[in-house]
Amino acid sequence: MTYAYAITALADPTRRAVLEELRSGPRAVGEIAARLPVSRPAVSQHLRVLKDAGLVRDRAEGTRRLYSVNGDGLAELRAYVNGFWDEALAAYERAASETEGADDGADRE
Amino acid sequence: MEQTVSDLALRKTVEVAAPPERAFSLFTERMAEWWPLATHSVGEERAETVLFEPGVGGRIVERTLDGEEHVWGTVTAWEPPGRVAFTWHPGREADTEQDVEVRFEPSGSGTRVELVHTGWERLGDRAAAVYENYDGGWDFVVGERFAAAANL
Repeated sequence: MTYAYAITALADPTRRAVLEELRSGPRAVGEIAARLPVSRPAVSQHLRVLKDAGLVRDRAEGTRRLYSVNGDGLAELRAYVNGFWDEALAAYERAASETEGADDGADRE
Repeated sequence: MEQTVSDLALRKTVEVAAPPERAFSLFTERMAEWWPLATHSVGEERAETVLFEPGVGGRIVERTLDGEEHVWGTVTAWEPPGRVAFTWHPGREADTEQDVEVRFEPSGSGTRVELVHTGWERLGDRAAAVYENYDGGWDFVVGERFAAAANL
């Protein structure tokens, strides 16, 4: 149910703020906490959820751990929603054309 | 380029030969005539039909062969033939709803139909409990494609 985690991970506004902090580049927990009204443990917890959801990656740099956005996570979710509506609207478009053709004629029964 | 939550909002446009009045009614009250139920529903192969009840407060509701009903959303704006808007929460609770707005603009002798899907920021923490408990609901909301692509 990884995809479920991705959507729920985005549900919390503070968690979204943490994710937004990573937009400008990789950050350590302390750096994020310094810029938000959120404690370090809370930031760590949010990052853990975001990482489980596939939205954030981390790597070690010396003694620090740096977190960065995993653009793939959100991109995949967006690709799903995109494809969902592409398919639905393609079906709508087909129906609209068929309808127009049928309505042009008089009683065709 | 980094993606953010706001990037989940999307806009789709199609041109149809039908005039706005017909384009509007086909999209809404006649949704059952075209909506791909087998792939875009809670019940999938068990889904029988979808009803789009007209007017503000109308429900968009799927009915399955065994008589179950699944509300996908509720109409929040009903302005034929130019505009319809509804909340969107297929396969999950209404408190995790998003928003879909569809506009129908005259375009030559036909209609330019634009759909905008927003409201991703509104997902709430309650979503977690709902998603874990809703068996099969996620296939409709997110789909296997995402799971496979996420590959985790």
